[in-house]
Amino acid sequence: MSFLLRRLGFYFTAFLIAISFNFMLPRMMPGDPIDALFAAAQGKMDIAQMDAVREMYGFMDGSIFEQYIAYIQSVFTLDLGPSVLMFPIDVTTVVGMSLPWTMFLALGSLIVSLILGVTIGTYASYRREGFFGQFVPPLLAFISNFPYIVTALLLFYFFGLQLEILPLAYTYDPSIDPGFTWEFISSVAKHAVLPMGSMILVGIATWVFNMRNAMINVLGEDYVTMAEAKGLSSFRVMYRYAGRNAILPVATAIAMAIGFSFAGSIMTEVVFNYQGLGNILLKGIMARDYPLIQAILLILVSAVLTANFIADLLYVWLDPRISK
Amino acid sequence: MNVSSLNTAKSKAPLLEINNLCVDYVSPHGIARAVNNVSLTIAPGETLGIAGESGCGKSTLAFAITRLHKAPALISNGEIIYNGRDILKMTDKELRAFRWNDVSIVFQSAMNSLNPVITIGEQLTDVIAAHKQISPKEAVAKAKELLEVVGLHGDRLKSFPHQLSGGMRQRVVIAIALALEPKLIIMDEPTTALDVVVEREILNELYDLKEQFGFSILFISHDLSLMGEIADRIGVMYAGNLIEIGDAKTVFTNPSHPYTKGLIASFPSIHGPKERLYGIPGDPVNLLKLPTGCNFQARCVDCMEICTKDDPILAELSVGYQAACHKL
Repeated sequence: MSFLLRRLGFYFTAFLIAISFNFMLPRMMPGDPIDALFAAAQGKMDIAQMDAVREMYGFMDGSIFEQYIAYIQSVFTLDLGPSVLMFPIDVTTVVGMSLPWTMFLALGSLIVSLILGVTIGTYASYRREGFFGQFVPPLLAFISNFPYIVTALLLFYFFGLQLEILPLAYTYDPSIDPGFTWEFISSVAKHAVLPMGSMILVGIATWVFNMRNAMINVLGEDYVTMAEAKGLSSFRVMYRYAGRNAILPVATAIAMAIGFSFAGSIMTEVVFNYQGLGNILLKGIMARDYPLIQAILLILVSAVLTANFIADLLYVWLDPRISK
Repeated sequence: MNVSSLNTAKSKAPLLEINNLCVDYVSPHGIARAVNNVSLTIAPGETLGIAGESGCGKSTLAFAITRLHKAPALISNGEIIYNGRDILKMTDKELRAFRWNDVSIVFQSAMNSLNPVITIGEQLTDVIAAHKQISPKEAVAKAKELLEVVGLHGDRLKSFPHQLSGGMRQRVVIAIALALEPKLIIMDEPTTALDVVVEREILNELYDLKEQFGFSILFISHDLSLMGEIADRIGVMYAGNLIEIGDAKTVFTNPSHPYTKGLIASFPSIHGPKERLYGIPGDPVNLLKLPTGCNFQARCVDCMEICTKDDPILAELSVGYQAACHKL
């Protein structure tokens, strides 16, 4: 229990540091959205107008310390002000619309590649002398070593442009009303195939190799031989005795992979014009929409920290030796 | 090589009979024969010790009995008869049912033979559940009982291996070995990883358990003095060959084969005067480059001309006592 409290304390500290950086970054950069607006107006705007716009967007004055306190407050009350890009919509609303799609993409592809990778890795370790063990892992390593952008564009080109069997953009067909209908769900699934598939294709080899190597180590352990000597079924020996231990180093890698998966989804969303956070982030950066950028970074930080905390919980559950 | 005559001392039919067993390790450099033409028997309730230095094939022999050897090892010849059934001819399903039910194993290190992330309870009950048609509740009750048999509290079922001391873990391993009341327990250096005090406790307990349950033991160790105490008979292996086998007392006090003599001379005597210890000169032979003739010739103090030409075969010296040496 104290282990979990310690971890929770650690994550809370990490969160505070992250939002402090988040607060400082835009303030360290020269200019703000209004300056950009002013420059774009090419002198047709006077100072008073500029100040009025500033106030409208809620850019505040006061010392840096007052601004910091106000920012921290706004983070914990989730009142992040209006977006510059999509004024007058709240940043919270904009983020709220696109966050689920990014979560779906990042976590979905991570979970699928994890499950597939662990299964393939386990089997490859068991059959490492045979065709499967000799052929499949190197092939996957080959595929995943392509730069992501190349893989993504190739998939985009063949399945989207040439064969025209999969859609090229959006999270679902805009002509369908969102709802819990078969039509909507199948449209979402169809639109997710390419972005998610490209991420899985690139990510899967890591899990295959992690799992295979961990399994090969564990298969030589006495407790696996003993489980076999006990006359247990080979399924039980494989998964309960060997796999249970081999999964431990893999579970450690999950925590790191979560961050990469979120970062990776930004690129994916841009390539496949998927309406997630990454896409919005890119637009926000181009429009110097600081409130939006800050909010998205905040969300990404919290998502990664939360996911890491869950990975910690998972690890405690998997390895009883940790909890002390 | 008359095996059956060995049983005249114990007129009962053997529990386990190994005939001309050969186990080979296949490597790119050739075939190494880790167990060469070994024949032996174990009678019900008997303790047979197998001694020899590292790499002599004693553990390979033990693993082969329940077909636990893994590639690149393979059994190339021989038969292993348990209660009239040839283990080498069993199907996978029969083999699984046979394992632990008839022959269980206590592995070298209890630290490594218990799975660190599975509770003691599950590791005990799963073997009971795999072989017997009983309810989970009964399996747990049986597991508790077993822990108490080896002197542990029944509450330990919920513990993980890392929460127990080395001696307690070895007791758990013994409890698991007893779970199905097998007729033969193979012990592969069961106390090597323990300190001498705990080793003594565990061995005394094994004695009592043996009285209580009446199983046979195949005791594998390099520690001849320990074996002299616990075993009824001792077999000595060198480079895959069984070179001497007979009653424990004779092997220990009056060995015939030069190798056994060397092995015993390399142990210090606690009570006698301080003497210089004699080891066996030279190194164990390379199994890939065996010499013509006796495998021990290069290290043997009594090497004769015939030893470089002919393999010595196991010959009966007295009733139930065999050794393989040209000098005898």
